[in-house]
Amino acid sequence: MSEQHITSILESIRFASLSESDHSRIRAHIASCVDCARAYRVASVSASLLENRLAETFEPSPFFHTRVLAAVREKQNEGPAFARLWRAAGALVSSMAAAVVLFAVLSFGVLDQQSLPTDAPATAYSAEALILDDIEEEQTDGQVLSTLYEADE
Amino acid sequence: MRRYSPRVFHFASRFFRQRSLVEEAAQEVFLKAFTQLGSYEGRGSMEGWLTRITTNTCLNLLRSAKRRPEMTVSDLSEDESGWLESKYSGAAEEEFKSSERSKVAADLTERVLETMSPDDRLVLTLVDGEDAPVKEVAELTGWSESKVKVQAFRARKRMREAVEKLLSK
Repeated sequence: MSEQHITSILESIRFASLSESDHSRIRAHIASCVDCARAYRVASVSASLLENRLAETFEPSPFFHTRVLAAVREKQNEGPAFARLWRAAGALVSSMAAAVVLFAVLSFGVLDQQSLPTDAPATAYSAEALILDDIEEEQTDGQVLSTLYEADE
Repeated sequence: MRRYSPRVFHFASRFFRQRSLVEEAAQEVFLKAFTQLGSYEGRGSMEGWLTRITTNTCLNLLRSAKRRPEMTVSDLSEDESGWLESKYSGAAEEEFKSSERSKVAADLTERVLETMSPDDRLVLTLVDGEDAPVKEVAELTGWSESKVKVQAFRARKRMREAVEKLLSK
């Protein structure tokens, strides 16, 4: 053991967990090995540093619980991400949908009105007067037909 | 929450030295616990479940924090150099027990730990600092036991190297 370097022991075992027999074996080796002697001392300093650091601890402040409960309530009120997104964009989406519906209603209404004359017997007024839209008074179907026959004769 | 907060604070204090950071971590732990209460199946203790959440929360906070660059002798204060030198030379233990000396050592340790990776910090704190069994650390972190052992081995080596650099003149 006294011939074997001890650095691997220092790295594989927690320093504070080394037994008295481990320490005595290590001491036997470091008496003649400068590198291991340094490593042993440094490991001892490292263990001391950790010990001092971990001696510090904090207790919860008096307002900690109130703050956490407020944060929990806030989180509960937030709800799921989709609901939050919907609340933020809901008004905009609703107004856009309303605009689309209004536009559709207006478009179909105008088209319906424009298609009405095609259904009417407008083709019957085929004389020049009808084409030139010179007729001042609205004629009955009989009058229109007689006008057309006269033109053919 | 009143029953478990001292434990959560104690645990988070191992990873953060500023009260504000400890409180931030503890608040996040309880928020997660409230929102994930459904995932607690009652198989283990509530304390164990909260400790697992605390470990993961602290590890994530450490990972998101910026790592300090490697320290050299020139970064040390006079008190810190004095503490290291006297400790290294094996001066009387009583000298280091005073609260002021402990604070110097704790400051220095925190700065050394800040140069290390979050995983190294975690394993040094739990295994070497808290003397937690490897199996328990494996359960807390979700790592395998062999990973904990290897990580501890490497972390001790890196800690020793970092301290050695501060002692070299």
